[in-house]
Amino acid sequence: MRTEDLVASLAGNVRAVPRGAVQRRIAIGIAGGAILTMILVVEWLGLRPDLPIAVTGFRFWMKWAYTIAIGAVAVAATIHLARPEAASPRRLWWLVVPAGLLVVLALGDVVRTPPADWVALWQGGSWQVCTRNIAILSLPIFAGIMLAFRRFAPTRLRLTGAVAGLAAGACGAVLYCLHCPEVSALFVLVWYSLGILAAAAMGAIVGPRLLRW
Amino acid sequence: MIGGLDGDRRAYTALLDALVPMLRSFFARRLRGATEDVEDLVQETMIAIHTRRASYDRDRMFTAWAYAIARYKMIDHFRRRRVTVPMEGLDDILVAEGFEDAASARMDVDRLLGGLSAKQERIIRQTRIEGLSTAEAAARGDISESDVKVSVHRGLLAMAKRLAGGS
Repeated sequence: MRTEDLVASLAGNVRAVPRGAVQRRIAIGIAGGAILTMILVVEWLGLRPDLPIAVTGFRFWMKWAYTIAIGAVAVAATIHLARPEAASPRRLWWLVVPAGLLVVLALGDVVRTPPADWVALWQGGSWQVCTRNIAILSLPIFAGIMLAFRRFAPTRLRLTGAVAGLAAGACGAVLYCLHCPEVSALFVLVWYSLGILAAAAMGAIVGPRLLRW
Repeated sequence: MIGGLDGDRRAYTALLDALVPMLRSFFARRLRGATEDVEDLVQETMIAIHTRRASYDRDRMFTAWAYAIARYKMIDHFRRRRVTVPMEGLDDILVAEGFEDAASARMDVDRLLGGLSAKQERIIRQTRIEGLSTAEAAARGDISESDVKVSVHRGLLAMAKRLAGGS
């Protein structure tokens, strides 16, 4: 095919691209995935029975603040990496803020609890499934982000996959809070973080394959 | 490009037409002679620029975005062919800054000159870019020297006005 013909055929197909298309596509991808994840939470895991009471309590909002903060930082970095000029993940170090705050809360819990109950503090009642559940719940959202990336031009594929996985893991964890009845900051710090990191690791593994263009 | 994003077909065609020679020289300098590969890469890059134009941020430099895509396509090409590039030459291949600046400066100059009348544009090109003297430009255009001077003066004034207005 001659390059001139190619130009003509490309120019014949100019659908307008709205301002802020990157943000919009990623938002749609995450929202689409989140609907699926929400269905999984309700149908497979079930909402926590005391949800109406829990949302008025500090512990529920501690978990939401932690996961939403990670999600916000990771989504911002994902948007940045959608562009080909992006060399490094911008402002990812902001993650230390939610992590640091949660460490402080966890230490406070530990100090106030007699050593005999420390195991309950970090294992809770669901430590065996929490990480796995969050990783599974992140999958639909990760898929949504990958679909959004079909129109983007990332050049750091493994990094972009990892950051997108981090964002998906955090969003999955936000919705998992609607099921999970744990209240310990130490539990969240360990198992939630592990689940989110597992999602990021999966993203790093499949990123180069899914994002290639 | 912004015209293209808004769906303006004429602006978009002009942009793609301007990109083709820039991409050709970008790849030709780096592939050293593999003419067919150069044309393939130009086409692949054009398709990527088209299908992935949503990733262009209107507030940033267009050429930096376009060359980032071209560079990605070139690295991908090397990887596919399993070409190894000697480390000594790597900087020349990966760094395109000077060339990018020159190319985007040329695009900017073209855009500015495009806002002038045909006569003013021609005479400013001759005297200020090609380096002809006023007398030579007058002889070539078959007009008087004072006419050349007036055209240059008015043309530069108009360009300065456009630059100051930021449009």
